[in-house]
Amino acid sequence: MEASIKAEGLSKSYGHVKAVEDLNISICRGEVFGLLGANGAGKSTALECILGAKKQDTGTVSVLGMNPQKDRKRLFERVGVQFQEANYQDKIRVAELCEVTASLYKTPLNYMDMLKQFGLSDKLKSYVSELSGGQRQRLFIVLALIPNPELVFLDELTTGLDARARRGVWKSLSDLKAKGLTIFLTSHFMDEVEALCDKIMILKNGKSIFYGTLQEAIESSPYTKLEDAYLWYTDGEDRVDESL
Amino acid sequence: MRAFRTMFKTELKLSLRGMDMFIFAICMPVTVMVILGITYGDKPAFDGAEYTFLEQSFGAVATIAVCAGGVMGLPLVISDYRHKKILKRFKVTPTSPALILAVQIVIYALYSIASLILIYVTAVLFFAYQFSGSWLNFLGAYILVMLSIFSIGLLVGGVAPNTKTASVFASVLYFPMLIFSGATLPYEVMPKALQKAADILPLAQGIKLLKAASLGLPMYSVSVPVIVMVALAVICTGISVRFFKWE
Repeated sequence: MEASIKAEGLSKSYGHVKAVEDLNISICRGEVFGLLGANGAGKSTALECILGAKKQDTGTVSVLGMNPQKDRKRLFERVGVQFQEANYQDKIRVAELCEVTASLYKTPLNYMDMLKQFGLSDKLKSYVSELSGGQRQRLFIVLALIPNPELVFLDELTTGLDARARRGVWKSLSDLKAKGLTIFLTSHFMDEVEALCDKIMILKNGKSIFYGTLQEAIESSPYTKLEDAYLWYTDGEDRVDESL
Repeated sequence: MRAFRTMFKTELKLSLRGMDMFIFAICMPVTVMVILGITYGDKPAFDGAEYTFLEQSFGAVATIAVCAGGVMGLPLVISDYRHKKILKRFKVTPTSPALILAVQIVIYALYSIASLILIYVTAVLFFAYQFSGSWLNFLGAYILVMLSIFSIGLLVGGVAPNTKTASVFASVLYFPMLIFSGATLPYEVMPKALQKAADILPLAQGIKLLKAASLGLPMYSVSVPVIVMVALAVICTGISVRFFKWE
C-alpha cells in the first residue's frame, strides 16, 4: 500500500542531547499510528521533524509523497495538525478562530458542522480562553479537521478530556478513519491507543524500543494487557541500564 | 487574499478589544492636539512667524500613533504571537507566518492614518488649523516615517528572545522617542542641548520632514533626514528578516 508517511533514519540533537535517534516509521494510507513514550522521550521532536517544523540532522521524511520543508504549502492543504499546547490569540472567540483557520485553506469543511459534531455549537461566541480544558481540546481537534485532511497529526489528543468526551472523540475519529483518514497521534493513554491505533512505536530516550502492531506489542511481552506491556517495554531498559 | 481579509478583520477586532492601541494611537494624539490647541491657540510659533505654534506642531503630533504602533504595538504583538506559538501553528498550514505579520503592519498603518485624520479634523474644527504645505510631500514623508519606525518594531519583535525582553526594548525605545523627538513635547521649547540629543533619534528627523512639508517651508536639508530614515528602514528590516525567529 502507498505510504502516507515515510521517515528513514531520522535523528535530531539539541546540543549534545540526542532528542531522537535513527527513527524509521512507515504509515500506510488509512492507518492509525500511535507514537508512545514518557514525557521527554522525543515524541514531540519526532512529530515536528516529520511536519517539517524542525529540521532533522540526518534522515529523510516524506509525507504524502512530499518533502514537508520544500512542499510546505502544497502539503498542508491536505494535512491537519493539532499541537499539544493550544495556540491562539488573546480575546479571540471560537467562531473567529474557526473562520480564520478555514480561510487559510482552498477547500475547507464547514466548521459549524464540525463544532456541532464535537459538541461545541453553543460556544461560537465564547472566548477560546474561557472554554474548559476539554472544550478547548475538542476545538483544536476541530481546527485540525477543518482542512478536510487526508492525514491528521494529533499530539496528545484527549489529555484533559472527561471519559464521555474521550469516547466521543474516539468515535468521531473512528468514523473518519473508516472514510480513509490517516491518523498520526501521540498519547499517554493505553485505552485510547487500543481503541484507535493499528500500529505503534514506543520511544525511550529518543530511540525506538518497539515498533509494530498492538498485537505484536502484547505478544512479545510477558503480559496480556497493552498497558502492562507498555510499562514493561519502557521500564525494561532501565533495569538493563541499572545493571550496567 | 481571502485569508488576508479574514485575518485582517479578526486581528483588527482583537486589537480593538485589547484597547491599548485605541488609547495610545487614537486617544492620546487627539488629547495632545487639544492640549496644544488650548495652550497655544493661534499664537505664532515665534515672534514674527508666519505660522502658528499649532501649525508647527501638527507634523509632530501626527507621529504619536506611528510611534505607539511601531515601537510598542508591533514588537509586542510579534513576540507575543511567537511566544504563544501562533506563528508556529501557521507554519503547518498552507499560508505563511509572514501573512500574520503583514496583517499586523497594515493594522498599525491603519491606526496611524486614522489618528492623522482625527487630529487633522480636531485641529481644523476647534483650533482654526490650516494645512498650508503640500499634502503630497507630507504623505510621502509620513509613509517614510511609518516605514522606518515600523522597521524598528519588526526588528525588536523579530529578534527579541521573549516577550519580556521585547517589552523592555519597546519601552526603552518608545518613551524617549515619544517625549524627546518632539512628538509630544514640542522640539522648539526644548533647551538647545536637548535638541542636539534629540536629533539622533530617527523620529526627530522624520518630524522635521513632516513639519517642513506641513508648513510648506522649503526643505533645505531634506537629504539628511531622508537618508537617515531610509537607511534605518533598510538596515532594521534586513536584520529582522535575516534573524527572524518563528519560535
